[in-house]
Amino acid sequence: MANDTAQHELTVDDLYLTYGDNPILKGVGMALDRGEVVSLLGPSGSGKTTLLRAVAGLEVPHKGRIMIGPKTVFDGAAGVEVPAEGRNLGLVFQSYALWPHKTVADNVAYGLKLRKVPAGEIGTRVKKALDELSLGHLLARFPHQLSGGQQQRVAIARALVYNPPVILMDEPLSNLDAKLREEARAWLRELIVTMKLSALVVTHDQSEAMAMSDRILLLNNGVIEQQGTPQEMYSSPRTLFTAEFMGNNNRIAGKVAEIRGEEAQLTAEGVTLWGRARPSAAAGKEGVALIRLERVSLADGPGANRIQPELTTSMFLGDRWEHIFRLGALTLRAYSTTSLEAGKRHWLELPRANLWIF
Amino acid sequence: MKSEGALPPFRALTILVTATAVIGPLSLILYQSLLNAPFFDARKAFGFEAYAFIFKDPDFWSAFKNSIIIATGMTLIAVPLGAILAFVMERTDLPAKRWLEPLILVPSFVSPMVLSFGFVVAAGPVGFYSVWSQELFGIAPWGLYSVMAMTVIAGLMHVPNVYIYASSALKNLGSDVEEAARSAGASPFKVAVSVSLPLIMPSLLFAAVLVFFLGFELFGLPLVLGDPEGILVLSTYLFKLTNKLGTPSYHLMAAVAVCIVAITFPLVLAQRRLLQNARKYATIKGKAGRMRELPLGKWTWVAFAILVGYLFVTVIVPLSGIALRAFVTNWGFGVNLAEAFTLDNFKSVFDEPTHKRAIFNTILIGTVGGFLTVAYYTAIGFATHRRNDGWSRFIDYLVLVPRAIPGLLAGLAFLWLFLFVPPLSPLRSTIFSVWIAYTVVWLAYGMRLISSSLMQVSPELEEAARSVGASRGQISRDITLPLIRPGLIGSWLLVFMIFEREYSTGVYLLAPGTEVIGAQLVSLWQGGAIDIVAALSLINILLVGVGLAIALRFGVKLRD
Repeated sequence: MANDTAQHELTVDDLYLTYGDNPILKGVGMALDRGEVVSLLGPSGSGKTTLLRAVAGLEVPHKGRIMIGPKTVFDGAAGVEVPAEGRNLGLVFQSYALWPHKTVADNVAYGLKLRKVPAGEIGTRVKKALDELSLGHLLARFPHQLSGGQQQRVAIARALVYNPPVILMDEPLSNLDAKLREEARAWLRELIVTMKLSALVVTHDQSEAMAMSDRILLLNNGVIEQQGTPQEMYSSPRTLFTAEFMGNNNRIAGKVAEIRGEEAQLTAEGVTLWGRARPSAAAGKEGVALIRLERVSLADGPGANRIQPELTTSMFLGDRWEHIFRLGALTLRAYSTTSLEAGKRHWLELPRANLWIF
Repeated sequence: MKSEGALPPFRALTILVTATAVIGPLSLILYQSLLNAPFFDARKAFGFEAYAFIFKDPDFWSAFKNSIIIATGMTLIAVPLGAILAFVMERTDLPAKRWLEPLILVPSFVSPMVLSFGFVVAAGPVGFYSVWSQELFGIAPWGLYSVMAMTVIAGLMHVPNVYIYASSALKNLGSDVEEAARSAGASPFKVAVSVSLPLIMPSLLFAAVLVFFLGFELFGLPLVLGDPEGILVLSTYLFKLTNKLGTPSYHLMAAVAVCIVAITFPLVLAQRRLLQNARKYATIKGKAGRMRELPLGKWTWVAFAILVGYLFVTVIVPLSGIALRAFVTNWGFGVNLAEAFTLDNFKSVFDEPTHKRAIFNTILIGTVGGFLTVAYYTAIGFATHRRNDGWSRFIDYLVLVPRAIPGLLAGLAFLWLFLFVPPLSPLRSTIFSVWIAYTVVWLAYGMRLISSSLMQVSPELEEAARSVGASRGQISRDITLPLIRPGLIGSWLLVFMIFEREYSTGVYLLAPGTEVIGAQLVSLWQGGAIDIVAALSLINILLVGVGLAIALRFGVKLRD
């Protein structure tokens, strides 16, 4: 993936952007390599879409630098600003933004027409692009005659047809209904990989980001909170924000009793738990222990990092059960493949390797 | 913020043309008002004599007082009535309302000159309805020629102005607030008065300011109804100045014009501010939820009575009066309609070349002229579209200015411009001069139509074009323009209708070759040619009616 000798396809350097008095991006930097899919993940208002639009040239930052390959398209200090139409990027909008007065073929052909490609060649390239997305039979249709999934593919074909070095996608799956979304996710990942595209994808859904990308950039409040591969982001979050954003968690607030090497001890509701110490944990201070739901396991008796809460209720999810436990003021959730008796106390283990203490 | 650098030539040209067309005539009026003689007089000199003269003239003060009374009174009539009608049409289950809505808007599409004339022939001392009432009941308990009657009629004629703003504000109001009041035990009337209308107060206030300053721009109505009793308002005072002194008293007219603009312009600015506030208010209240109609129940008949009463007095009486008058030789007590029937009135219209030319010119200015006007407004629209810089704000204010200049003054200013600027004088005797004046006078109205079309184009469609490599010009031509084409055709129809309706702007530009029906009617009315006025008025109504029918047929929104 990352190739040290090659130039990055896209480089963003210390980017600042403000709407009025409202800072949106506060010094964001990132790089995208050839053939790589990077997701910009974050809650709404984190600046992920703004960053994508700034790369596209649709928003003007006031500081920082953006390079596409070796070419600087924005440099606040040097006063360089290449307009959006001069950046030669492919952009897929959340709403698809297909032109309703143009047919599918005309929508896709427009970028080639603007590049003064000869008419005959336009025809073959449009056909080829649409065939690759299995839309070849829809050439003469208008956007309103297509399903949501087809519209999305036309929007992608429109952005790919002139072979941009980087394709930018703003929430590409959010306009599809839930069932279709999972299929489209797999299809899109496969398409990007087989066509060797370099893609920057904005999403607010962490499972979508993990499924689709080689690398995730988690944005929070205008800065990059953490970046890494999906596995790193999920399994070793550095901050509480990352940990909470990336999965479904049990959260136990208490006091950090001591820190020993890589590990820390937290006490809450009279129980003592050991876990992996994160940078923010400090002995004697308030702290939070976090563990993914699927890491909590049922145990047969007392032991280290085990607690015995009472089962309040259970929910059947089809492939498993989700149980809700209570211990004093604590609420814990856990999965199991079998049902459990409500109103009773059960032993749960929170493995110290999977429990993070912040 | 980055500077845009050099202005693109197309944009620069549009801004320059617009600035010249708006500021030129206005500054000419101001300049003329500061001279002590007409600008072509060799002995002219700067001074305030013109103002001194009119301020000493008791007629001026009487006209000023009448203008204030009428403007205030018509606002007090039009706002509550327009608001109630909007509530009934927008929020209740009144039957047949979709069908009735265009009728409510009719008074805004028929020339006030024509409507006023209709009132005279229908309800004047020997009008149709007055005579019938005398014959049936022995009494016709109304008089038209008073400040009071003018105020009421002006109020009724401006109900559509209020209706338009009130109903679009009501559209944005969630119906849950009304249902809450209803279930707490409020009658529909109570709901309107204590819940819905207070919530749209900002829009009503906006409409009130609009109607109030339109009161100062009234011309046809006071000309027709005020004249017989010598009642003057500011615009008719200005119009009569020439006759009064026997010499072209341009400096005095200009001084009156400046006085009128000094009243209307601050109101236009206030209105703009109110509109911005109203929009803020609307976004807070607008839940844009599903709208449920309020069942009127036994109130149906009350609502129906208000609506039909309004339509009868404001639309049916004057229009039927004109339609009847156009087909009779004369009318009065003891005249039998069947015996007096004639087609001669139309024959005399079509026998007279100036009338034929007026009809031809009116159609030409509405169709071809309307097309060119919409094209020009579109150019201005594109010059400001998605650009939030100083130039855009400048144009925003610029297009607002003509709103404050009554058509009569604008026509006068353009007349002076054509006389004052020798290279322009060949235009003076062509219909082109009237077209320019119309286009400038309706600039603010037209720009509202164009920008509401432009606003409907989602910015993403244009951004998508940018991202595939289209320049600003290419986006406008390939994406935005094709997308707003239906809106532009609708605007063309609406501009056609207002150009057919327009009368006061052409009054001072009336010359052989530049006749239009509206101005021709003013001149014929002055000469007392009732038969021809009736026939021409009916033709005028038919022209507007054709536009209206096409607009309704193709579902053009009559308001934004």
